[in-house]
Amino acid sequence: MTLLELEDVTAFYGPVQVLDGVSLRVPDNGAVGILGANGAGKTTTLRAISGTVRAGGRIVFDGKDIRGLRPDQVAALGIAHVPEGRGTLGDLTVRDNLRVGAYLRKDGKAVDKDIEYCLDLFPNLKDRIGSNASALSGGEQQMLAVARAIMSKPRLLLLDEASLGLAPSTAKNVYDAIRRLRVESGIAMVVVEQNANLAFTLVDSATVLETGRNVLTGTSAELKGMDEIRRAYLGG
Amino acid sequence: MARGMTSPASPVWQRPWARWAGWLLLVVVLAVVPLVMTEFANETLARIGVYAVAVLGLNVVMGYAGQVSLGQIFFLGLGAYITAYGVQEEWNIVLVFVLACLIPAVVGLLVALAAARLGGLAIAMVTIALPIVGVPLAKRLSDFTGGSQGMSARFADAPEGSGLFDDQWVLYVVLIIGGIVFLLTRNLVRGKYGRAFAIVKGNENVASSMGISPYRYKVLAFTIASLIGGVSGFLYMAVIQYTSPETMSFGHSIQLVAAMVIGGAASIVGSLLGGAYYVLVPQLTNLVDPSLTALLQGALLLVVLFVLPGGLVSLPRALTRGRRRSRAGRGPVAPPTTPSTTTGSGTAAEEPETERQGHA
Amino acid sequence: MGKFVQLVVDGLSTGSVYGALALAIVLVNQATGLINFAQGGMAVLAAYVTWWLTNHSVPLILAILISIALSFVFGAVVERWLMRRFERGDPDTAVVVTIGLLTLITGFCGWLWTYNNQQFPSLFPLRTVSFLGVSISIRSIGTTVVIVVAMILLQALFVRTKLGLALRAVAINPQSAAFSGLPVGRLLMVGWGLAAALGAVAAALVAPQLTLTPGMLDNALVYALAAVILGGLTSPVGVVVAAWIIGILENLAAVYVSFIGFDLKVAVPFILIFVVLIVRPQGLFGRKSVVRV
Repeated sequence: MTLLELEDVTAFYGPVQVLDGVSLRVPDNGAVGILGANGAGKTTTLRAISGTVRAGGRIVFDGKDIRGLRPDQVAALGIAHVPEGRGTLGDLTVRDNLRVGAYLRKDGKAVDKDIEYCLDLFPNLKDRIGSNASALSGGEQQMLAVARAIMSKPRLLLLDEASLGLAPSTAKNVYDAIRRLRVESGIAMVVVEQNANLAFTLVDSATVLETGRNVLTGTSAELKGMDEIRRAYLGG
Repeated sequence: MARGMTSPASPVWQRPWARWAGWLLLVVVLAVVPLVMTEFANETLARIGVYAVAVLGLNVVMGYAGQVSLGQIFFLGLGAYITAYGVQEEWNIVLVFVLACLIPAVVGLLVALAAARLGGLAIAMVTIALPIVGVPLAKRLSDFTGGSQGMSARFADAPEGSGLFDDQWVLYVVLIIGGIVFLLTRNLVRGKYGRAFAIVKGNENVASSMGISPYRYKVLAFTIASLIGGVSGFLYMAVIQYTSPETMSFGHSIQLVAAMVIGGAASIVGSLLGGAYYVLVPQLTNLVDPSLTALLQGALLLVVLFVLPGGLVSLPRALTRGRRRSRAGRGPVAPPTTPSTTTGSGTAAEEPETERQGHA
Repeated sequence: MGKFVQLVVDGLSTGSVYGALALAIVLVNQATGLINFAQGGMAVLAAYVTWWLTNHSVPLILAILISIALSFVFGAVVERWLMRRFERGDPDTAVVVTIGLLTLITGFCGWLWTYNNQQFPSLFPLRTVSFLGVSISIRSIGTTVVIVVAMILLQALFVRTKLGLALRAVAINPQSAAFSGLPVGRLLMVGWGLAAALGAVAAALVAPQLTLTPGMLDNALVYALAAVILGGLTSPVGVVVAAWIIGILENLAAVYVSFIGFDLKVAVPFILIFVVLIVRPQGLFGRKSVVRV
């Protein structure tokens, strides 16, 4: 039932403590948001899950303790991390970026079909299939980053600030596509977002972080109704 | 450590009078040593001095300013050749010394002006050419260099009335000139230029955003290194009295870099240790097995880089850190305060066993 | 005219050897961000292994193939156990480590097999062939062809295979590549292994001419670095072309420019560098690299 569970996770950058007991639960096919201001530890939480930073506490994925695994090992278990800044491989073409996403798969024909699916999900990428990724606009790069992540057919998608630096309409397009993806494939997600409004269009529940710990957790419906959230994150 | 300031708690050796006493003691020791040691010891010390100066020059550009240079030995050779030529032509020795400083500096300046533009490891890649082109060039320009045979020149014989032996006089020359170079360099690297070098070494983009031009400071560092290299060449001729194209071979170039790293990069004392390493270690390894020399030196360099990257000069620091660590019984030093909790409940909640990881 | 063509062909041959080394240096730099000053030394070690095998009655071609395979392993081992620690740090420190490695390898070869020049068997016959009235060395043609084929194979690997795609991805952004499940460490080892194998090919081809000695490729390393500077670290094609130009020009200069002659040939690439770089600091083909603070 529970796909991913974080319990009392801590993390340090050198001597500075960034996470001070973060807990999270993602059910199968569920989508959970992580909200909060800059520096609250949202990105670090995702990094702790994907193994990019060393963390203390419990991180259990599908019944398996994944703390201490390298990022490529975590990816092999079915967790795809779309990092802040997208991580697109600029010198490779869009098609090659997608192929890299499918690196771990052995089913060649199915990979081609999935590339077609991604292009259908993100039509903007269709014309750019042969261009270098560095030539794409910010929104297109974000779409490419998500597409590359899903090429590995992950069970869990980690999305870090997918709307960052994008015009509101572009961000909405990206989230629409991700919503469609969720409906059609049932991928579970952890979504880090500063734009709470946008996040609530995608996630079922969310937790709010402040200086590395959870201060508020609840379903989207509950949180949307709260005054604190409205004031702090939804602009009153 | 603030100079000139005392506090009741500062240890004896940091008080100003103690430092003056230390310097005085050093001067006295240096003045007396040549008079009491054997001829062989004096000659060895003089050679160590020569290479210590060469390593010091390399440290300026490589240790302090962070630019790998494989050409330092070229400037030593150049200084030596200029000295030899000038002595043979019976020029005034002071003029010869000045030329041995200036000409390598100018050559270094020209090389740096071109190479430093490239950024990255270009200085390393270009300076490798200096010994490799230098050797055949020295052989070719035999009118000036004596070709493959090399050139001899004696000019550092003890003056008639001094009552000193030649080896003592030479050692004094090395100590005085070398000492002056060391002092000047020490002041340089502790002053604003040294700080600028360190910033350029750390991150060039940060440097230029602070208005410190990496290009300019790299050129400056390289020129100073070449000048010091030229001085070491002058001293080389004084001590060894013979130079040949072999003096600036590629192998020697690498040995100088190794000596700098093993002695201690970006360290004045480390340069002295580097000079000692350069002279003494090959003598030792030759006793064990001459054909093993290069192998052992390569292995030693790698070991130092892995285990003691700061060089031998950082050994005391590394040992005390290790002792402190084992006394504390824990992992690497961590800030003693735990992060303040915002819950403020004040109850004696059990601190969860949060592991401290991810140290810088 | 005949002499000119001969010089060009021979220059192409030595230029190919420099180019192979330069390509190996670029490959390692793109994967792990440092310049391997021991690239030539590693190649010489491979040549010594080949030579030792032939002395024990192994046929030359088999010996070369074995040493290529062993070189691959050696390169991978060096990356994993020696260089890995220094890859994310200061590149200047990493360079000094490779200089230490060079000293170690040279010393090892000198200790095991002495510093004397050894005769290395030639893969190609030492005759010349007559082409349009000009006599051309078979060895020069053969060397050029073999190295060009090796480079083409390498290029095909990079552009057309999954492994090649993975190697390129890791070179661009190792952390992002890891998010897609690429085993970054293992791929870096492969990159170093390929570079070392390429060096082994070049060394086996040039050893008969230079005679085998521990410092055999020291000069060639200098030329290779010059080719890297001229061609730019981001352009494999650029460094190979630059290497050919250097090879040809140095041969021509040795004969036609009397001041330079054979002993000062090695100055030619650096004269070239000074000239080119005053105009284009990023090299003939390279792109200006953008460094983020």
